Amino acid sequence: MNPIVPAVLGPLAAAVAIPLLRRAPAAPALLGAIVALAAGGALAVGIAHGTRAELLLPGLPGLPLRLIATPLTALLSLVVAGVGTLVLIYAVGYMKGDPERVRFFATMSFFIAAMQALVLAGDWISLLAAWELIGLSSYLLIGFWHARPGVGAAALRAFLYTRSADLGLYTAAFLFIAHTGTGVLPSAPLSGPAATLAGLLLLLAAMGKSAQTPLQDWLQRAMAGPTPVSALLHSATLVAAGAILLIRAEPLLTPGARLAVGVVGGVTTVVAGLIALGERDLKRLLAASTSSQYGLMLVAVGAGAPLAALLHLIAHAAIKSSLFLGAGVFQHARGGTGFARLRGAGRAHPRVFLGFTVAGLALAGVPPLSGFFTKDAVIAAALAGRHAPLLAPLALAGTLLTGAYVARALRLLWRGAGEEHRVPGLGWMGAGFAGLAVAAAGLGAAVGPIAAWAGGPLPVASGAGVFGLAAAFAGLALGWFVPGARLLGPLRRAAEGGFALAGGLDFWVARPALALARGCDRLEQALYAGVLGIGRLGLTLARSVRRGDERGIDGLIFALARGARTLGSRARALQTGLVHRELALAAAGAAVLLAALAVGLAGFR
Amino acid sequence: MAHDLLLLVPEIAVLLTAVVVLVCEMLRRPRAALSVTVAGLALAALSAIPLLGVESTAFSGTFRVDALSTWACLILLPATALSALLARAELAGEEGEGTVYSLLCFTALGALILAGSGDLMLLVLGVLLSSLGSFALVAHRDDDRATEAAMKYFVFGSVSGGVMIFGVSYWVGATGSTLLAALGGVTGAPPAAALGLVAVVVGLGYKAAVVPFHFWAPDAYDGAPVSVAGFLSVVPKIGAILALAQVVRDLPVGLGWPLVIAAISVLTMTYGNLAALVQRNVVRLLAYSSVAQSGYFLLGVAATGGPLARPSLVVFATAYAAMNLGAFAVVLRTGRDLDAFTGLGRSRPATGAAMVIFLLSLVGIPPLAGFAGKFLLFGAALASHLLWLAIAAILNSVLSLAVYLRIVVPMYRTPDSAPTGRAPNPLASGVWGIALAVTVGLGAAVQLILGRVGP
Repeated sequence: MNPIVPAVLGPLAAAVAIPLLRRAPAAPALLGAIVALAAGGALAVGIAHGTRAELLLPGLPGLPLRLIATPLTALLSLVVAGVGTLVLIYAVGYMKGDPERVRFFATMSFFIAAMQALVLAGDWISLLAAWELIGLSSYLLIGFWHARPGVGAAALRAFLYTRSADLGLYTAAFLFIAHTGTGVLPSAPLSGPAATLAGLLLLLAAMGKSAQTPLQDWLQRAMAGPTPVSALLHSATLVAAGAILLIRAEPLLTPGARLAVGVVGGVTTVVAGLIALGERDLKRLLAASTSSQYGLMLVAVGAGAPLAALLHLIAHAAIKSSLFLGAGVFQHARGGTGFARLRGAGRAHPRVFLGFTVAGLALAGVPPLSGFFTKDAVIAAALAGRHAPLLAPLALAGTLLTGAYVARALRLLWRGAGEEHRVPGLGWMGAGFAGLAVAAAGLGAAVGPIAAWAGGPLPVASGAGVFGLAAAFAGLALGWFVPGARLLGPLRRAAEGGFALAGGLDFWVARPALALARGCDRLEQALYAGVLGIGRLGLTLARSVRRGDERGIDGLIFALARGARTLGSRARALQTGLVHRELALAAAGAAVLLAALAVGLAGFR
Repeated sequence: MAHDLLLLVPEIAVLLTAVVVLVCEMLRRPRAALSVTVAGLALAALSAIPLLGVESTAFSGTFRVDALSTWACLILLPATALSALLARAELAGEEGEGTVYSLLCFTALGALILAGSGDLMLLVLGVLLSSLGSFALVAHRDDDRATEAAMKYFVFGSVSGGVMIFGVSYWVGATGSTLLAALGGVTGAPPAAALGLVAVVVGLGYKAAVVPFHFWAPDAYDGAPVSVAGFLSVVPKIGAILALAQVVRDLPVGLGWPLVIAAISVLTMTYGNLAALVQRNVVRLLAYSSVAQSGYFLLGVAATGGPLARPSLVVFATAYAAMNLGAFAVVLRTGRDLDAFTGLGRSRPATGAAMVIFLLSLVGIPPLAGFAGKFLLFGAALASHLLWLAIAAILNSVLSLAVYLRIVVPMYRTPDSAPTGRAPNPLASGVWGIALAVTVGLGAAVQLILGRVGP
């Protein structure tokens, strides 16, 4: 059998079976994910033997739906299924005792199936369909605890943000299909201004899904969902979709579009890094960090090295999901993820803290963990690319900030003490967490083989390693020694006494950085207000339409009726007035049409 | 002569059905009337199947038997039968129940004549026939609200019909013929041509509830029984849209009609979506939503002459009929007020899920029927070099998401009070079940339809 079928159908069948069986919902979900993982393995083995699986389904005329296995898509399918399986194992423990487990596991399975379809998509239409489905399922999952205050709004915000950016993908897909006459991926590149336009539209779509500046706001608010959802969302599914789109479409980008991708990524990595530094909630810190890391991937794509972006995506998938899973254990142990609650949580759970530290250091780029190699590749790509003077400093600044916020989080978890709760289901959670943390640590060894498999040389640049390491360690030192907790207000002065040693550094680096972080926060608020303003404009328009259609006319009629009553007539006459009025509007519409036609015909002659 | 009659078998069957149903009602046998309605309409639809692929005319070119008119039989007759079942679920036992079935048949006949008209007189006849039935249907519930709505609908209809007949007479004067096929000769007299075009747009635009001739729709839908509202939003509307496609097919492009239709299309969908955004009454919300959907239909009309125009109209008409009737069937079971939908997804998961699917299909989310239809419509607009129109339509479908989410979101909230919806009704459930199957299945079966429409 074609292995593509179980890769998608495995999790999909689980999503159907779970609500039907209702009993032990985790078992079918795990089974589905493992089937998908095995299918991904079979695809990879097939490619190693020189056969590329392809699945053709009837679709629109001339545009059949295709799912294909190439080295890239098979690799991504393995990553999705692998991370999905481990997160589901973790979720068995995390969701223990939740009354809505059936809905949770069914939606998670559906999510994984949709993502498998997205990474394996071989034409624009299936890509669009899968793109919509992951948007829908992430909406359902972020809003999973919809009865809690604010959760529904967060889910809606995530959906609307990503969906407005989806317009870019729709329009780009239409452009490609209209110009090349076929929906097959990878498309032939376009020529002329349409090519740059298409590239920018794809960038827009990716910015929405990958939460790039200025569209990053939704991601932090999406933390309202269960932690396994965040882990999956940030590592291998929703947010990754944007970067995957650009990695797959990189050959189609013109130099201008590439520069735009690189600049958006570079700006995001710095802005989101600063936001992460100013956060006071562990999960929200991790969310901002996700935006920042996807920014680095976009830098690599912009520098013309999609391979480096791919490697960082894979390493980040393992790292970020393990960080979230660790944060989930702390969340259960302390009843929340605010910094005030989490003080010293690491000491109480040393094994979880060890895994969290390993993943955190891997994220910062400490050798020999996986992040070191992939970040090195990204920095090398930025240094060797066409716009090195612009992109390389941004990538290095992003690396520095990564070190700083990782150190800040680790320090917070290590110092202090707090009230502990008993954590049920720690065994399952630990199993999933350990698997991902080991991957986060050890994937570095696989960088060479993966690069060879995906068929491209890794970018090389002299000094990349030195600069990268220097930035990472400087960031770690900064984050550990400088109280990012300066934001704490009244507690700040007390904290200052204990860290006088770092005063100078604090004054010169941390304070401007934090001011900038606050400024970014304000900018974000302003942009948020702007987006809201547009929404409000729409509502106002809608209201005025209603007024024009009903209320205004009604008001007029009532006024007429009142006048009529004083004259002793019956108020019943009002309805004819309404019709008259509306007929007058219709007649005016017809007159406008006629005038337009007359003008057009006069011009025609 | 005999050949002409053979081509008209479906329409004749509908006429006979309507008459027999009326006889049943005279004998006070509403159940028999329903059975005759469903069976007659099914037979009529079946008799249209052999006509697939036929491109011909009947009675010296006055009636066209082509893809549009044949598919109109295949879409509108089952939709009418489903509406009749819904009407039974809602109106069983009321005075004049059988009359409703008969009026549904007459109105559907008017829509079929519209969809196949090849002559200006037939066009007028179709508008009048479908309008007269509709007025009576809206007035069925003999109360103040219904009477008011029907009166308004009637006044609006009379004026638009009058304008249409008046304007069409200019076309007849300019070409010397009432045949649509002769419209090519209208270029000789540009003012007459423009006047006629505006008049036809008014007359058919009123039937299809196109802005700014839509004002009657929310009141009429709200005053009518829910089942009748569902019928009115589907059958006469699709008939009028297909009639417009028949008219513009023969109009010279130099007249500028693609631009006129495109402008009305953008106006209609934008206005419909914006107005729907603030409704509290679900029937009125769906009324404005169906105004907006007319705008999407007009994309296919504006692209007439292009290769995708006919297939896109047929596919979207099928999708629209299924998803809109389905949504109205759920409203029939649940209630007209938006508050009645609070918690529906929890208290009745199946109904709730079906409603979500209908609404998502109305938005145009893949892989549902609405997506297939809209995708083809956008493609048709692009193929006719109306890129801006396609972009406006795509923007509108994003806007429409907000409209439909207003129903979906409260459905999964916990209700403040116990659910107040009516008792489940197997007929209504059956209707939305069929509509659901079409809505979900059409995406996959679209190839099947396309192969049978032709350009």
